[in-house]
Amino acid sequence: MARFMRAASRARRFCLCAALCASVLSCGGGDSGLSPSGSSGSSGSSGSSPPTGANVVGVVVDAGPTSTSPDINTLFTTVTVCVPGSTTNCQTIDHIQVDTMSYGLRILAPVLTISLPVQPASNGSSLVECTAFADGYSWGPVALADVQVSGETASSVPVQVIGDPNFTSVPADCSGVGQAEDTVAAFGANGILGVGVFAQDCGSGCVSVVDNQVYYSCTSGSVQCQPTAVRSLAGEVANPISYFTADNNGVIIQLPSVAAAGAATVSGYMIFGIDTETNNKSGSQSVLTVSSSGSDAGDFTTVFNGQNLTTSFLDTGSNGFFFNDTDITQCTDSGFTDFYCPASTQSFTATLQGDNGVSVSESFSVGNTESIAQDDAAFGSLAGTFPGPGSSTTFDWGLPFYFGRTVYTAIQGSVTSVGTGPYVAF
Amino acid sequence: MPTTRLIANTKKYWLTCGVLALALSPCIAEAGLGQPESAVQADALQFKGSIKATEHAGYRVQEIQLPSGTLVREFVGADGIVFAVAWNGPTVPNLRQTLGQYFDKFVAAAQAKHGDHHHLQIQQSDLVVQAAGHMRAFSGRAYLPQAVPAGVSIGDLR
Repeated sequence: MARFMRAASRARRFCLCAALCASVLSCGGGDSGLSPSGSSGSSGSSGSSPPTGANVVGVVVDAGPTSTSPDINTLFTTVTVCVPGSTTNCQTIDHIQVDTMSYGLRILAPVLTISLPVQPASNGSSLVECTAFADGYSWGPVALADVQVSGETASSVPVQVIGDPNFTSVPADCSGVGQAEDTVAAFGANGILGVGVFAQDCGSGCVSVVDNQVYYSCTSGSVQCQPTAVRSLAGEVANPISYFTADNNGVIIQLPSVAAAGAATVSGYMIFGIDTETNNKSGSQSVLTVSSSGSDAGDFTTVFNGQNLTTSFLDTGSNGFFFNDTDITQCTDSGFTDFYCPASTQSFTATLQGDNGVSVSESFSVGNTESIAQDDAAFGSLAGTFPGPGSSTTFDWGLPFYFGRTVYTAIQGSVTSVGTGPYVAF
Repeated sequence: MPTTRLIANTKKYWLTCGVLALALSPCIAEAGLGQPESAVQADALQFKGSIKATEHAGYRVQEIQLPSGTLVREFVGADGIVFAVAWNGPTVPNLRQTLGQYFDKFVAAAQAKHGDHHHLQIQQSDLVVQAAGHMRAFSGRAYLPQAVPAGVSIGDLR
């Protein structure tokens, strides 16, 4: 994505990278650089007074931590990780991607300056994880960390350290997923914070099945890692929100609207908890429950062009709207053939329908991908095709859906005043 | 390696096949896309998976169920060659196994792309890979465009 943007603005990005790298390498619990009051460069307004409180952290859409970052429509925040129990052995890390369709905190080892304790597998050797994404894999050990986001603290959370040089032997079943994404450049962020509807990344399958393709036990110094079942759900890499002492039932993401032409940066908020504080009350939003298990875990139904797309999802980790409509002109530039390029922006309507039957009709726009300005990090009408067999059942509502909205995500089994998770509401 | 057509998931058969396959380990390396149907057996063995075959007009599907719950389907043309593979489930299967000789080309093409983590499309004259999904739910397909039998829709490769 956005290769033309990178090539044209390499010098500017390099300066940005240098500045960010310096900030990444600074250690300790100092200013996160993303406190809500410190946010700047917002392209718009959410239309109400900004949320404040210990459960609020700033989020930003910008050019990312490196010149090879995905560049467009990627949402970042800042987290502080500490060695469990320590208040001084801590590190604040910016440009952690916020992803509502994954679960758990993962940090790229090259930016990590503190040493987090690696967790044992059930046989006593080290527990190491293979995290698959659709475009590659991230390999590294499971470690414990105290995770601080704004004023919230989660103690002794299992997190993944991606690309740890102590665990370089990648099992064939993991490297076989595709390209390695174990550097900041390859990953496009300093880490990823999965804050979706589940409390663990894998779930019960990794407790009951040895050959789960996710967890491995590795002996230090050995070239061999063996598939392993995790002792219990609590051993899996976890959504840190579920470890907060309060405000632990979900998250609200609030982003301003973005001008049609796009924006260089967009600043918004992530508010922890739903109906737990005065600043995170449920309103009159529609609550759509999502599937809690199976091959559609986390998904709901979208009705579009007369099709029932039963594995649809809201995803801050997708940088556009991804769905198939052969009537929309696709781009011809070799870097963008997966994206849409109508001559002028087109508007569409689709219906989002929860498993609970609640449905909402929403309109969205599809713009010309090749028209995106070089310095834009946010573009509200970016859209492309959804690849592969899932295309016949999926409408992927990526980050542009969140622009100009407040979107609630409730964790499975968590109770709020308007329902029990897993649900999304907006 | 036995060359008989597979009909059902017979444990004893696979045990025998497993011993043979281990003895003839080079067979495993030859598995996947572009290889003869017999390579599917090596894939199933490598995946510790069970297998079943279904017949379609112009092709046969060999479906392997992985312990993780992910399904891998290998599409075999009338010429006995695997022309496509598709997968869906909670994990991404070992594509080095299912793409075989095309895997390195796939990885090189993926490295040249910089999209988000939830979509990947590789479109080359001799190899197409389309992968997508999110944690706990992935799907994808890979096929050799020139080897897809006439009359077979790409949408059927699922």
